[in-house]
Order: sequence, then structure tokens, then C-alpha cells
Amino acid sequence: MSRRQRRIRREDRTGGFPQAPFAQPSIPFPPLKVLSDDQVEAIHQASLRVLKETGINFLLPEACRLMHAAGADVENGGEGPRVRFDAGFIDHYVAKAPSSFRMHARNPAHDVEIGGNKMAWVLVASTPNATDIDRGRRTGCYADYADLLRLGQMLNTVHVIGGYPVEPVDLDVPTRHLDAIDAMIRLTDKAIYGYALGRERILDAIEMACIARGIDHEILAREPSILTTVNANSPLQYDKPMLVGILEMAQAGQPVNITPFTLAGAMAPVTVAGALVQQNAEALAGIALAQVVRAGAPVLYGSFTSNVDMKTGSPAFGTPEYAKAVIASGQLARRYGVPLRASNVNASNAADGQAIYESMMSLWACFLGQTNYLKHGLGWIEGGLSVSFEKVILDAEMLQAMAAFLAPLETDDAALAVDAIGQVGPGSHYFQSPHTMERYESAFYVPILSDWRNFETWRDAGSVDATRRANRIWKELLASYEPPALDPGIGEALSAFIARRKAEGGAPPL
Amino acid sequence: MSEQEEEIDLASLSDEELVQQMHDDLYDGLKDEVVEGVEILLERGWEPYRVLTNALVDGMTIVGIDFRDGILFVPEVLLAANSMKAGMSILRPLLAQTGAPKMGKMVIGTVKGDIHDIGKNLVGMMMEGAGFEVIDLGINNPVENYLAALEEHQPDILGMSALLTTTMPYMKVVIDTLVEMGLRDRYIVLVGGAPLNEEFADAIGADAYCRDAAVAVETAGALIKRRHNQLAAMAS
Repeated sequence: MSRRQRRIRREDRTGGFPQAPFAQPSIPFPPLKVLSDDQVEAIHQASLRVLKETGINFLLPEACRLMHAAGADVENGGEGPRVRFDAGFIDHYVAKAPSSFRMHARNPAHDVEIGGNKMAWVLVASTPNATDIDRGRRTGCYADYADLLRLGQMLNTVHVIGGYPVEPVDLDVPTRHLDAIDAMIRLTDKAIYGYALGRERILDAIEMACIARGIDHEILAREPSILTTVNANSPLQYDKPMLVGILEMAQAGQPVNITPFTLAGAMAPVTVAGALVQQNAEALAGIALAQVVRAGAPVLYGSFTSNVDMKTGSPAFGTPEYAKAVIASGQLARRYGVPLRASNVNASNAADGQAIYESMMSLWACFLGQTNYLKHGLGWIEGGLSVSFEKVILDAEMLQAMAAFLAPLETDDAALAVDAIGQVGPGSHYFQSPHTMERYESAFYVPILSDWRNFETWRDAGSVDATRRANRIWKELLASYEPPALDPGIGEALSAFIARRKAEGGAPPL
Repeated sequence: MSEQEEEIDLASLSDEELVQQMHDDLYDGLKDEVVEGVEILLERGWEPYRVLTNALVDGMTIVGIDFRDGILFVPEVLLAANSMKAGMSILRPLLAQTGAPKMGKMVIGTVKGDIHDIGKNLVGMMMEGAGFEVIDLGINNPVENYLAALEEHQPDILGMSALLTTTMPYMKVVIDTLVEMGLRDRYIVLVGGAPLNEEFADAIGADAYCRDAAVAVETAGALIKRRHNQLAAMAS
């Protein structure tokens, strides 16, 4: 029996990839506060003053007219672009936003709850470059795009595909979105994403989400199945393609992640509080527009406030300022009853120590601040200009470890272990205590990357550091990838839709 | 798995099957089964030394490999070592009677000023698990304790451990004393403990630094074998 046991143990404990099952973590403790209630109110009131006194430019007349009809103060007789809001307008519309919603994946086992104390972890998105330690940094291409989706499908720490994990720049621009979303649907069975880059693209994305799930628009409106991000073009303006995204997605009942691009010192005031005031003003205006379009349309309050390096102007991430901004944003989002989006970000040029410590700084802030939608959860480096294959795995380890950290600390009699402490007594050890023997296999978090062997053993095995171990793991994962099952009818319908849209020429230039 | 779990009558197995089963039982830390296996092989007329080497030591070698490779947990290895030790307790008097070659004997202790002994205890258990006789002097040992134990037990190996950078130099005091007394060459001196390394072991004149319990067993076996070969070469 034991030769069998030995074989099983060798397979269990060396082979494969020791990842926890797909599960959304819940934050079990109250969210951390970096602001007093009075300070939250002060930021709220300050952002209302900005909205009333300065206002926001909406560069799409259609959006301006909607806001005007809803009662906002829109210049040029409702044509805009400047839109000013009073407190009553903001309160009235923002209150209509749901505090949580369910994102539907084509595999229901991969549906996610967005809101409350739940977290959803999202694969990196929108980086123009990909890098790994074998091949170096290169312009994003479809082959890398597909490989990153495959990793996203295999990693249980990826709950949502939140955009293109790298831009497939080698695909033709007018039809890129069709091929990219097609791959998202076929290579993964998790919740998906469409880009708000003009009306045709977002409508195609919505249509493909319906096809992927085999549902019509009526069901789609009740069952959010595709998400988009709308960034304010900070300071204080929303551009046309993004606003179209709000209009079409809200109309279809699909979630819009409204994220101001408030990098303090460049696109927002140099003070964290000032940047938060501007972030809040921009976010509230975008959320209000979504609710004007369709009351109850799901939205996220997006926090991207960080700072720039004042010596170069480059964005910095995972900074102390970023961490405070995330936690403060959580306080603001909860004040409005809207789920929070924040990110696992860093500005390192490689999957190195800087990437990890800045990411860990981001992650702690995101976890303690109760982030519901953790964008760029895996793979992001270089301030979002590259995705690193190794960093995908490094992040999977950090996220999985953070989830284990969230597991409640048991304090029942067995856990308190007074009997075991008495049995072992002073100066002995617990390796063979019955209390240990009953629990040792599952007592502790099992890492996927950490190497806990002693120095000499590690050295004799080639001194392989964590980044190189991550390199080996992503290659092994890709080698064992199998596509998730797809109903043949859905596959055919998808192909037919794409063929028709390509024949029509795809999307026009922005 | 259930059909795998059914009771196996060890006495009904052929010698070869029984030895295989004993390797498995060692791996699973089944002490009673290992003891029973030893008794059956002895009843069948096996030389105690053959039981030791074929059934127990070979079985523990498999355990050692899987410990090294990170397959086994420490508690599992200690269970295996305890099972080995139980089998060994039957064999030890018989081995002495038959004048069989000995696996080896070790005196081990943590040096003066240091009471950190969990690593030393693991080494002791693993050495016993590999068939060595281990005399454990415990913690906080001045040089006199080591000298008395070496005199009394005449071991092959002296093992010393320390956890503190402030106590590890005491290992050199012990070794220097052995040199002064002309006793150093009688023993293999192994040292270990978290702050040590190979350079330190060389510098103080130890035979080897053992970074963990598995390496200690491996090193002890290799150095004893080399010593026997050297003695045999000198005799011839």
C-alpha cells in the first residue's frame, strides 16, 4: 500500500501546481480608515464645490444633452462641453447606483459578486508590451495575448478577465476587438471585458457577451456579463469614446468601472487630499451620468489616484501616497454605497524586488481598504506599460497568500492547544506531538513559489531565485493548458458574428 | 483505496515481498509492523546484519530521498525513524553477539552557553533512524562533558551544535582540546546549527558541516565508510 502512498505523495507534493480552488475571498474585518468621518465629509463637500463651481467637460454632446435634460447646468444651452452639478443632482443620481451586483461568466462556476466585503481579482489589462526573462520586452502581439489568457484561465487567483492582458498590436485596428474578445471567450470561461473605444466596439462587445452566454438583451440587462472601464481624461474631462461607453453599457445594464486618472502632481493636485477631491468629483459625475442613462445601472467607484515622480514626471505606483489614496477611496465609495475598484500596481521595469514591494504595498492597501474589484491583480509592471509573465505567477503567489491571511483565526479549545503545550512541556519539540500529527499537512499555507530550503540545498539546486522559479511555472502551466469546453453552437454563432462584422469592415477609426 | 488497506499477513509473504512491505511500512511509520517484520525475518534464519541492511537501512534510504526532495513532512520522517529505531532495538543485542559490522555510534550535544537543541534533537532521531547508536548529552555542554562521554562510549562520531554566533566558537575549544590531548583523530567531528557554514567547519578543524538532519545522516555514513576503508588499507 505504501509504494502506492509514496507515488501519490510524490505526485501530490511535487507534481502540478498547488493552487487553492477558485473562490472569491471575503474581507472578514472592518475596512481600515485613514480618514476620520469628518475628513471624508470634507472631501465630499470639496468635490461638490468643484462640481458646482468648475464643473466637468463632457466632450460628447449627446451626453451633455442627457445631463441637461436631467437637470444639470450645461453650458451652451445644453450642448456643453462644460457641465456643472449641484449637490442635490449628485445625491439624487448617485443614490440610484447598486451597492453590489453579480458578474456572469459563461461558466456559472466562475460568476463573481462585486460588492459588499467580497473581492474579485482581475488579470492585468491594456499593457502595450509583454516581457519575460527568456525573450525580453516586445510589443504586444496576439500570441502573447493568447498565452496570457491561457494563464488567466488556469490560475484560480484570476476571477475576471478585465481587458486585454497585453494589446495584440499585430491585429488590425478595425477588427482587433472582434478577434480579441473571441479569444477571451474561447480560451477562458471567466467573466469578460469590452473596451469603450467608440460605439461600434462596445456594441460588438455587448453582442459577443450575449452570444457567449446564449442570452438575449433582456436577460443581459438582468445578468451583467461584460464590464468596461471608463477613465476620466483628468483633469475634469471625459472624452467621446469613453462617454459612449457609459451610454451604451449603462443602457444595456452592464457594469461600468468609472476611474478618474488622477496622478497627483500632473493630472491632479500635488496633495493626496486634493487629488482625492478631484477623483471624487470626476467619479461622481461619471456615476451620475450612468444613472441618468439607466437608473440602477451597475457601476464601480474607481480609484487610481497615485503620484508622479516630480523629477521625471513619470507615474509612480505602490507608493505610500497610493496606499493612502486607495484606503481613503474605499471610505468614499462606501459613503456612496458603490463597489470600489483599485489596483495591484507598481512602477518597476522588471519583475524584481521593486515590483514585489510596490505591489505588496498596493495589495495591503487594497485588502485593508476593502477593494471589490482588484484590477491589474496579476502581471502588471512598469506602471502598466508591460505585462510580465513571471509577475503573473509572483502575483498569484501573493494573492493566494493574502487569501490565506484572510481566513479566520480559530480559537477553539483544540486550536488553543493547552493540552498539547502541557504534553510537550518545556524544552522539547512539537514535531511529533499528537496535536501536530493530526494537523501538520494542512496547518499552514502551501506556497507555489517560496523556496524554504536551507541555503546550501538551494545553492546546490542552482540558486534559482523566485523570478526564475516563476518563469519555470508559467511555462509548465502553458504546456498543460486545455481550453475550457464551449458549446459548438455558441462557437459557430460567434464565428458567424465575427465574419459578418469583418465583412462590414469592423469599427471605424475613432 | 479500500482494497489497498486490507490487512496483510506479513508471515505469508515471501522474503522478497516481506522486505518490500517493510520498506513500505517504514515509509508509513508503522512501528508495530516493522518490528513484526524484523521478528519474522529472524525466525526465518536471516542474519541480523542482513535484516538491518536489506530491510531497515534500505527502507530508510527511500525515506531519506523523499525527505531531501521535499516529499515528506518532518513528522512523517520522525515516525519512520521511530519505526526504524524500534526494529533496531531488537537487532542491536543480536548484532553485538554476532560481531556484525556496526553502523556506528555518535555522541552528540549542544555546546556550552547554548540551550537551543531542536535541530540537534532532530539529528539524533534521524541518526537513530539510520541505525546509528546515539548518546545525547543534551544542552549547555562544557568540554569536560564531551571528554567524559567520548571516554565512556568510545563513539565513531562526535556531533556538536550551536544556534548562536556567540556560542559557536566553543566548538573550536572542544576540538582544540581533543587535538592537545592527541584524541582528535579518533573521532569524526560533525558540526551543525543555523549560523554555521562550511568555511566555519573547516576553520575550526571539524570534519564536516551538516546543514540539516538528512545531510548529517548522509555525511556520517560516508565518513564512516571512508574511515573503514582507510583502516582496512592501513591493515593490509
